Amino acid sequence: MLELHDQIAEAVAAIRTEWPETPHAGIILGTGLGSLVDEMEVAVSLDYEQIPHFASSTALSHAGRLICGSLAGLPVVAMEGRAHMYEGYPLKQVTLPVRVMKGLGAGLLVVSNACGGLNPAYKSGDIMVIDDQINLMGDNPLIGINDDRLGPRFPDMCEPYDRALVDRALAVAADNGLVAHKGVYVAVCGPNLETRAEYRFLQRIGADVVGMSTVPEVIVAVHSGMRTVGFSIVTDMCLPDELQPTSAEEIVQVANEAEPRLRTLVMGVLAEERPT
Amino acid sequence: MTSQQIDRAAEQIRSAWNVTPRLGLILGTGLGELADQIDCQLEVSYEQLAGFVGSTAPGHRGRIVCGELLGVPLVALAGRIHRYEGYCYEDITQGVRLLNQLGAPGLVISNASGGLNPELASGDVLVISEHIDLMFLDAAGSTEQADRRQLARASCRLESPYDPDWIALALAAAAEGRFSARAGSYLALTGPNYETRAEYRMLRWLGADVVGMSTVPEVAEAARLGMRVLALSAVSNVANPDDPEEVSAEVVIELSRSAQPTMLAIVKALVDSLGAPAA
Repeated sequence: MLELHDQIAEAVAAIRTEWPETPHAGIILGTGLGSLVDEMEVAVSLDYEQIPHFASSTALSHAGRLICGSLAGLPVVAMEGRAHMYEGYPLKQVTLPVRVMKGLGAGLLVVSNACGGLNPAYKSGDIMVIDDQINLMGDNPLIGINDDRLGPRFPDMCEPYDRALVDRALAVAADNGLVAHKGVYVAVCGPNLETRAEYRFLQRIGADVVGMSTVPEVIVAVHSGMRTVGFSIVTDMCLPDELQPTSAEEIVQVANEAEPRLRTLVMGVLAEERPT
Repeated sequence: MTSQQIDRAAEQIRSAWNVTPRLGLILGTGLGELADQIDCQLEVSYEQLAGFVGSTAPGHRGRIVCGELLGVPLVALAGRIHRYEGYCYEDITQGVRLLNQLGAPGLVISNASGGLNPELASGDVLVISEHIDLMFLDAAGSTEQADRRQLARASCRLESPYDPDWIALALAAAAEGRFSARAGSYLALTGPNYETRAEYRMLRWLGADVVGMSTVPEVAEAARLGMRVLALSAVSNVANPDDPEEVSAEVVIELSRSAQPTMLAIVKALVDSLGAPAA
């Protein structure tokens, strides 16, 4: 991990030349959720190719741009699209943008994803505020010689998602009459969707939703000392005994439909971050 | 780490210490002090052996101590190599292969772990009787390495890698000294982050007694090489997923230290049994 320090510095320098501000938060927008940037006052938009060491996303509905500007009156950087393990990128590269956000000065990570619902009380289109996570990716972004400048060798994970922010997000949902669950996200590497037997297994180990991202980024946020709030959009229900075939197009469509509600939650959480 | 490098390292040690050890030990967290109790006849650091990698982990010293304990010749590796340091199976198991090449017929290995079974308490010793491998170490590696690992897995399947007589001896030694020890299962993850509450719940549900970030690769390799194995785990903290407490490396090392007297008593009982004339 000793190479990361210089990579972060180079990426931070490249972004600062275009946008000299210090972001309060870094935001990662998942599948179908990119239009949150419509709410932003955009100062600069950088393609990932313009930022040293950033992986270009090859995934569906991921634009591959870093948008710098302000949202809810706060300076933020937002990633439209992310790199995934299933694209073949090492997790160190997948999570580099989180370290760059921290390097730019962001103390808060807002992360979102599209996922499959395992909890039978959920339904397609619902939003879940992530309370906790399970890493079943078979890999970890912190493997390697630890760079103590970036964070501790053995980060504690008893509260990867900031409890106050989880409560705040749920309160914003209640205030706006929106359904929002609180639950556990399990990450697998994919890229195939799970079998019925795998869905049963994931339900039994205590997961409410399953996806192929977010967990590495949050591990790195914890390592970096950032507070994190996470949102999962249930884009299809994965109940093993009544499994319906789904398609990538359908997943994007459901995410697009849920996006305005996600927007309300993110704006509400950020509004209370403003210095008073 | 090729077989030739292992051969050369063993030759290098034999040229200075021409003894066949009766036991090899990998001293992880909790047994580090045992190295100081060995009547040392030769000490070598990993770095002095061509091809060997050094440990970067806190509390791991990375030296090879050849000598006698209770009159029994043995070799102890103080400090070990972990997957979370970025090392592959070949590197992680370099020490086991060296001990085997030096002629050690058995392996004692120790680690610190987090307790999952609520009946365990901080400072207990778990005598490992089985393991669950969630390290996903097969994810990378050459074909030759993959073949070696398949063999390692195969030998694990045929019979338990953990020697039942040695487990019984360990439990008897602990009981005699009125130490708290029990047999149970060890689950290995890569780490390096500690587990989330949701992960603790999952690991409990899977049926593991303790969770840690080491030992399973070394045990698999020892089993492949036909070595008898005794593995001891120092339970540092017992996590309650509903009332989580922050943990750190310092806390784990401090808590696991209280298991040290138990571990030393068990290892000495085993060494003593090896020194006794055959019945």
